[in-house]
Amino acid sequence: MKTWDLVKTANRNLFRNKLRTFLTVLAIFVGAFTLTMTNGVGDGMRDYVESQVKNIEGDRAIIVRKKVDRPQGGARAGTPQEYKESNGEEELEFDPNTILMTQPQIDAAVRGLEGIKSITPRYNFKAEYISVNGGKKYKADLASLSEGITAKTDAGTGLNGDGQIVIPSGLAKTLDQNIAGLIGKTATVGYKLPDGSIKTLDLKVVGVATKGFMTNYSSFVDTATARKLHDDQKNASVPDQFIAFTVQMETNDAAKINAVKKALSEKGFEADTIADNEKRTYDAIGIFKTGMNLFAMVALLAASFGIINTLVIAVLERTKEIGLQKALGMGRGKIFAIFSLESVLIGFWGALLGALGGIAAGLITNKVLVKVYAESFEGFSLFAFKPFSIAGIMLLVCGIAFIAGVMPALRASRLNPIESLRYE
Amino acid sequence: MLEARDLSKTYTSDGVDYEALKAVDLSIGQGDCLAIVGKSGSGKSTLMHLLACLDAPTKGRVFIDGNDTSSLSERSKNTLRNEKFGFVFQQFFLNGRDTVFDNVVLPMRIRGASSSQINAETTAALSAVGLEDKINKKAKDLSGGEKQRVCIARALVGGPQIIFADEPTGNLDSNTGAAVENLLFDLNREKGITLVVVTHDDELARRCNRVIEMKDGRIVAEHRMEATAG
Repeated sequence: MKTWDLVKTANRNLFRNKLRTFLTVLAIFVGAFTLTMTNGVGDGMRDYVESQVKNIEGDRAIIVRKKVDRPQGGARAGTPQEYKESNGEEELEFDPNTILMTQPQIDAAVRGLEGIKSITPRYNFKAEYISVNGGKKYKADLASLSEGITAKTDAGTGLNGDGQIVIPSGLAKTLDQNIAGLIGKTATVGYKLPDGSIKTLDLKVVGVATKGFMTNYSSFVDTATARKLHDDQKNASVPDQFIAFTVQMETNDAAKINAVKKALSEKGFEADTIADNEKRTYDAIGIFKTGMNLFAMVALLAASFGIINTLVIAVLERTKEIGLQKALGMGRGKIFAIFSLESVLIGFWGALLGALGGIAAGLITNKVLVKVYAESFEGFSLFAFKPFSIAGIMLLVCGIAFIAGVMPALRASRLNPIESLRYE
Repeated sequence: MLEARDLSKTYTSDGVDYEALKAVDLSIGQGDCLAIVGKSGSGKSTLMHLLACLDAPTKGRVFIDGNDTSSLSERSKNTLRNEKFGFVFQQFFLNGRDTVFDNVVLPMRIRGASSSQINAETTAALSAVGLEDKINKKAKDLSGGEKQRVCIARALVGGPQIIFADEPTGNLDSNTGAAVENLLFDLNREKGITLVVVTHDDELARRCNRVIEMKDGRIVAEHRMEATAG
């Protein structure tokens, strides 16, 4: 028999008992629909996170923090802690100072490491307001970008010198719909000195940052400006302390980056590149997605028993027909193929309808959610459907259907022609 | 062209052996019209199944055109049955919901013939049984006699050398049965197709030019009836 004839025969067999086929397809539909939805949520989350984090770039920057152990002797989750009579001294379970680093500590940490271009401590500073071109004063959320890290911009360029600022697009659009017109203007930043007085600093607007988690509200200043603000605001009686520092490598050579990370880790630091941090987030989303998909797989597993049931009954019903086909010279392989194809076709139709239904439901949900939550989650779609994922789901469902069909198809192929012709 | 030597078949059920066929020797020539008669349980169906390679003998051999079939693979036996044999059974084994065409075409489809060949052969087979005008009818809408003629067309399609007919008139009344018999004998006479009929209908058997009588798994008598057919 030709392949196309096999497919046609299988399809015709399915249409012989429309109700039974429909119900079996329906069960697969439910599984495929669920899988499309759960997978769509995972992809949607990933897309959103990706759109938010990709605005901060730096392929040769390593962000370093002190490794902090869990406080010693801390209670396990859920276990009540016994009350002890205090001996007067306050027991501090967690000392925030343990995560802070002084400049000499930072110097000691990176001593002897190769391929390092610069070190930027995480300067601590706070601005009160920002105004552009002497206009209205807005509350400012000011941060610095360490050397080696850049923010993507919608207009202008990133930071490339001293005395510069990149402003967020929200602020830019409020100031001027034509955000490109703001480039080159002067931004005045007001900040408090330790004595409570306000000091101002003029900076040149060089860019408008693309939207993202960190770039929605914050304005970014260069390292030198950050240092100046930090120096003006710090309490002179305490030595400089930083919660983190950034290592900028000379190149993005992965081997050298890994060597530095390893060396820092051995010295008791957490050293991560931006890619490491993103990967951690994506991994978490991936685990979530897998977990959700497992639920959908349970539905598919249940549906596959429906396929087995349908085909086992079909084999019984068609025993005589199989006997005749065998008598007329049809081989085992072809009999197996017809039943397997019926199984895969059930899977295929269920998967196709399930995927289309899932996509439709997801897109409608997205529209509704955009209306309700548009302001808090701009650019967020709960569901994302990628052709590759959908094709993968359909292939998976057809594969499960095929496996479900193996047992009945083998039964059919092994029938004895004489006994089958006599079957009542 | 078809020869059985020392053919035996033993069925085992619940540990008890049952000898359905005991050392049968038989030779069937090209164009023969052979009837195998006997009571039920005499081994006549078993003999036909073995001759038609639907079953394997416990002992002995079947030769087709001088070739030993016991050495053939299952695939080769399938091809042999598909290309050289045609089958007509007491039950029609038609697919009622399919058209006459779709039922007759089955052996050609199994063979993997081209669609032009399929159309030509099927039309020819249906006109040979006088049903060319029913080609697009559903098989379930036909009368009993017409159904058996469709089965003969299905046996005929693709040009077999031998047609095995197992109680071909068993489900038909005497008039339609006679028409079906005539059709089979015409095919034997005009196209030279060898006919092997298994029956317990003496009248049908008498119209064949060879009759072998079976009892308890053995051939107990053979009659040659020249020129009685027709």
